[in-house]
Amino acid sequence: MVTPLLKAHHLVKRFGSRTAVEGVSFTLQRGESVGLLGPNGAGKSTTIGLLAGLLVPDEGEVQLEGSPIAGETDPRKRKLGLVPQELALYEELTARRNLEFFGSLQGLIGAKLHRAINEALQLVGLADRAGDLVKQFSGGMKRRLNLSVALLHDPELLLLDEPTVGVDPQSRNAIFDNIEQLRQRGKTILYTTHYMEEVERLCDRVIIVDHGRIVADDTLVGLKRRLAGTGRLTLDLSAAPEESTLQAFRNRSGITGVEVRETRVTMTVEDLTVGLAAVLEEVNRSGLRVRALESGQASLEDVFLDLTGRSLRDG
Amino acid sequence: MNQLLALFRLDLRLFFQDRRSLVLLFLVPIGIASFMGTLTSNLGKPSDRGGIGLIVVDQDRSDLSAGLVSALGKDANFQVLETNETVARQWVLSGRRPVALVVPEGFGANALFGLFNTNRKPVITVLFDPSRSMERQMVEGLLVPKVFQALAENALTVESLRSLVREGVARIEATPPDPSWDQTTVRKLMDQTDTWLAEQTNSRPFQREGSTSAAEGEIGLPLPYTTRVEALVKGEAAYNAYAHSFAGMGVQFVLMAMIDLAVGLLRDRESGVFRRLRSLPLSRTTLLAGKAVAWAAIALISLVGCFAFAMLVFGVRVQGSWVGFVGVLLATSFLASTLGLALAAVGRTPAGTRGFAIGFILLMVMVGGAWFPSFVFPKWLQTVSLAVPTRWAMDGLNAMTWRGLGWEAALPSMGVLLAFSALFAAITWKWFKWEA
Ligand SMILES: Nc1ncnc2c1ncn2[C@@H]1O[C@H](COP(=O)(O)OP(=O)(O)OP(=O)(O)O)[C@@H](O)[C@H]1O
Ligand SMILES: [Mg+2]
Repeated sequence: MVTPLLKAHHLVKRFGSRTAVEGVSFTLQRGESVGLLGPNGAGKSTTIGLLAGLLVPDEGEVQLEGSPIAGETDPRKRKLGLVPQELALYEELTARRNLEFFGSLQGLIGAKLHRAINEALQLVGLADRAGDLVKQFSGGMKRRLNLSVALLHDPELLLLDEPTVGVDPQSRNAIFDNIEQLRQRGKTILYTTHYMEEVERLCDRVIIVDHGRIVADDTLVGLKRRLAGTGRLTLDLSAAPEESTLQAFRNRSGITGVEVRETRVTMTVEDLTVGLAAVLEEVNRSGLRVRALESGQASLEDVFLDLTGRSLRDG
Repeated sequence: MNQLLALFRLDLRLFFQDRRSLVLLFLVPIGIASFMGTLTSNLGKPSDRGGIGLIVVDQDRSDLSAGLVSALGKDANFQVLETNETVARQWVLSGRRPVALVVPEGFGANALFGLFNTNRKPVITVLFDPSRSMERQMVEGLLVPKVFQALAENALTVESLRSLVREGVARIEATPPDPSWDQTTVRKLMDQTDTWLAEQTNSRPFQREGSTSAAEGEIGLPLPYTTRVEALVKGEAAYNAYAHSFAGMGVQFVLMAMIDLAVGLLRDRESGVFRRLRSLPLSRTTLLAGKAVAWAAIALISLVGCFAFAMLVFGVRVQGSWVGFVGVLLATSFLASTLGLALAAVGRTPAGTRGFAIGFILLMVMVGGAWFPSFVFPKWLQTVSLAVPTRWAMDGLNAMTWRGLGWEAALPSMGVLLAFSALFAAITWKWFKWEA
């Protein structure tokens, strides 16, 4: 078997009494594009931090091509390109100066550095704005520049921590295009997000985390297969259901995920026909009325609900 | 009303968040206020400042000169050191003592006659540091009663009076006959006085009652001596007050500039730049070394700019060693950069760090003597100021500019500044966190 490019082995990271990452293990093979999916506070950024060597794990180990990174200056760190969730840029400098600085720290000099900068700018579509101060950039442009900094040294593995956060759909598409190009060039990508549709578009495999633990690690196809036959039911009730009613839903076999938003209850059910009957029975018993009902096949969006009993976006 | 309350609570919460900075924020004004208070209440009272550091060179070695030295030594306004002229000149020149008095040979023999005869007045040389003329004036003023006191205690002996009488007789004999006064009678009177004095077989001095304070009433008399005042600077050097003020404000400015850099570094940690840096094959050592050198360069450029202006506009000159001057500038620059890093290392939030850093640096600069020369400080504060690096930066810059001293005179300053840099570097090394 080939040595994986990256291997996380039982990573644990605690901040005081809070455990942010609790026994996370997975591997990334060369050329794979993997989504790290989870709600806010699930431990995605902490995991990325552990992988990139920003944080030292309390337990476990990260291996890059079969061995752990040896110290701060290990030249193998050049195989990594990190795009932090925060905009890690010098606002007072121009885009080009930012790239020059970070590129130099990666060991690039002279014509090589110059070429790398131009390529990176080209890829993210900022070539014509290279001389502008970063603080004059729009949010989306800053995000793209943030991405381009990680590309300068042509890393094999890209660790992208929510690279599209706070960006309008158009800029987001531009960033997706950039990432897709990188993927086509054979880069290995770990892409953090809490949007299933981003994962669907960019990744072959998804690792779903919740409360610091991995709840699923599967290919998109595998996840879909898991969902095969699973139905999704959304009820609009006459009033917000009581906790006892929700508990009753959860206790019925065949109902796997229950999520409430005021009067709307969304559930994943193993079988629509059986599930629907069970649900209506419980509604009847609670004395509530159904105002509207939607049903259909569960989509990947519902995977998280199915796995954890709550939805991604509301964490 | 609700909004007001919300705004009120927000700012109070934010303000009290960074506890450590807060403590320092309160300590600093207390420190500065105490400092200013002590200073202003002590101005003009040299005794509270441990006395003026006065050097006395006794080249006469007579009873009278010894009496003068001891009278000066007993005065709380002075802190007297006795030594030879070479040492005295060196110490005043290098700024270690502000004033030296050289009591010439023949002082004891001539002082009494000097009261009556201008030709025989001995000349006391006053050597002084031109940046400290205030103390020179005090010494000159306080010298007068001391000389009279010494005269009263040591010079009024039978022998000295007899020689005074005999000199009078000799003068009368040398004067051509003058009908306007009876020379013979005056001569006879003087001879009788001499005879009477001779009968007083013991040559004990005439003790006067309450002699320690008696002299003060006699300041109205003509002085038994004259002074020759000599400002000590090396070679062609001349005192330039701008040299001192530019040194002081230059050092202050450079330290203040470091606050911005330190705060910027703390912002980088918050903004995520540190996360990015940590993902690169970059060591903490390299990062800190890079910052230290860059900040030192910024400090050096600022100091050079500051002195260039002072030189062009106010005629400040490096009258001593250029090597020493550059050395002190470099050492000061490293002091500033390492201090900036230490601030960033111990600081938590950017805003809190800015608050206490400003106060801390102001205090350091004041105690270091950049605002007021340190010799106006009370004694204990002068001692404290030796533990403040800015004091050494000031001393070193003064030594190389208007004092006109050689490069060796810069070594103590450079040594202390670099030692402090090492201390700040150690603090940085220990406390600086770049875990993001
Ligand atoms: N430096 C820190 N100190 C203390 N707690 C931390 C720190 N960093 C993260 N945490 C905690 O660890 C948990 C996981 O945080 P993390 O940033 O990894 O989540 P995330 O999945 O990236 O969330 P998001 O989607 O909001 O970015 C959270 O509960 C967070 O509060
Ligand atoms: Mg995150």
